[in-house]
Amino acid sequence: MTLTLKEVEHIALLARLELTPEEKERYQQQLSAILDHVAQLQALDTSSIQTTSSVLPPQARLREDEVREGLTTSQALQNAPAAEKDQFRVPPVFD
Amino acid sequence: MTAYEAVIGLETHIQLNTLTKIFCACKADSWEDAPNSNICPVCTGLPGVLPVLNERVVEKAVLLAEAMHAEVQPVSYFDRKNYFYPDLPKGYQISQFDMPIALGGSLELPIPAAADPQGKGYVRTVRIHKLHIEEDAGKTKNDGRERQVDFNRCGVPLVEMVTEPDLRTADEAAQYLIRLRQLLRWIGISEADMEKGNLRCDANVSIRPAGATYLNEKTEIKNVNSIDSVREAIRKEIERQTHEVEEGHAIKAWTLEWDQDAGVLRKMRSKETEADYRYFREPDLLPLHISAEWKAAILAGFPERPLERRARFMREYSLPEYDADILTLERALSEYFEAAVKAYGGDPKKVSNWLMNDVLRMVNEQGLNPAEMRLTPQHLAELLKLVDAGTINITTGKALLQLVQDSGKAPAQLVEEQGLAQVRDDAAIRAVCQKIIADSPNEVAAYRGGKETLMGWFVGQVMREMKGKADAKLAKDVLAGLLK
Repeated sequence: MTLTLKEVEHIALLARLELTPEEKERYQQQLSAILDHVAQLQALDTSSIQTTSSVLPPQARLREDEVREGLTTSQALQNAPAAEKDQFRVPPVFD
Repeated sequence: MTAYEAVIGLETHIQLNTLTKIFCACKADSWEDAPNSNICPVCTGLPGVLPVLNERVVEKAVLLAEAMHAEVQPVSYFDRKNYFYPDLPKGYQISQFDMPIALGGSLELPIPAAADPQGKGYVRTVRIHKLHIEEDAGKTKNDGRERQVDFNRCGVPLVEMVTEPDLRTADEAAQYLIRLRQLLRWIGISEADMEKGNLRCDANVSIRPAGATYLNEKTEIKNVNSIDSVREAIRKEIERQTHEVEEGHAIKAWTLEWDQDAGVLRKMRSKETEADYRYFREPDLLPLHISAEWKAAILAGFPERPLERRARFMREYSLPEYDADILTLERALSEYFEAAVKAYGGDPKKVSNWLMNDVLRMVNEQGLNPAEMRLTPQHLAELLKLVDAGTINITTGKALLQLVQDSGKAPAQLVEEQGLAQVRDDAAIRAVCQKIIADSPNEVAAYRGGKETLMGWFVGQVMREMKGKADAKLAKDVLAGLLK
């Protein structure tokens, strides 16, 4: 299974990565190899097995609706590259 | 010229009024809080954390599903919706995709005469496609060339509810939101304030020749934050599309943004709307099972829905639609009315008149909650009986409403203590009438000269003299005799 260069570019866009032509080619090969590896699963006959998306115990654990202390504002902003007025500062997204 | 009709579907986001967020124990409502003050490692997407579902979120979503006649699914799944944006620290939103918590449903929407081109009013049935639960994203705001991000809203619980394209006019869309807001407050699952963003709405709009059954290309209107804006934005978009089609142009599937200040729709850049969310099952959360027992426990004591109660008030108490509508705007008021009618035992319309004209004014002017008023439904009933029996007159009765509210004392007790009983003593009234007549020679002459409308003035003078306690009818009879 080989990804097209266009697919690689699309995935890079979704991940907001800017790739050089060399990188695109390299990732095309690497991603294709990963897909091939996983595709080995297709060899198994699963026609008699019920479709499922989880094999874990069925019921999700639930939490009571009680407020608990979280992070302080300064703790939360500690690792931020830039902060301003108690908020994370980021570059403009568009334009 | 072809006549066109609009086809409108609404996608609403409803912020649930739980104490905590959907997957962590942070306080959910940050309306008055400083930025980044209700956050934790889970909602800010720090590595190694796990979401744990808030059971109240499930319960409130089940209540909404029931209110909309939707079918709660015994098993539903959470999915990741992947996209990069600064307001979403994890890089994905936990949502539900192909197996949401509830499917189907409908709302029978009464369209008032004022919103009916034929002026009669009608009922529009709006089908619900699905309801799903998800987490909200944070807030970003521009500050010059930079953007600031506040994560307080990350993880706030939302229900997204999508209608089928069953609405036909901008007014119908507005009515849908009005009734939805009423319902959300009625069942107590959301503050449903559009200005605060507790209730958000996107509208899908297309047009087609009237009576056609196919669907044309639609546009999506985003960022509308009041019911009036939704109505105005849809109206403008229908006009625009009609104009385009009449000019022979095709409608393109644009996403439009409502500019509140300018009152216009702007096309959003495709970069902002192109979507490839690569949904997949959320591996950090197990499937959500809602057993029949749990569902029954959640729905125990589920109230009569507002539109059902409205219809029953018209049927059972012979109330006009107008009265039934106002009395069921809020659940507490409708319950107040019904308790008062039961305690009174007389004409329900009379209770309605006192409630709508006088009690509701007190409620609105003094910001009272009908459920917590000191003037209880039983007090109102007792007061009406005192008026019926002639113990007090209507003027005293109306003044008594506030006295009961202020003191919490029963009406009969206040009448006794403050001597408010109506004076029906013929001699006492006659004496006052004679005094008024003696003091007002000009009015007497005018009245006798044919200006009979002055009777009201004479009665008013007697009432004033007797501090509003005179039996007005008796006073009028006595005056008429004396003025002959």
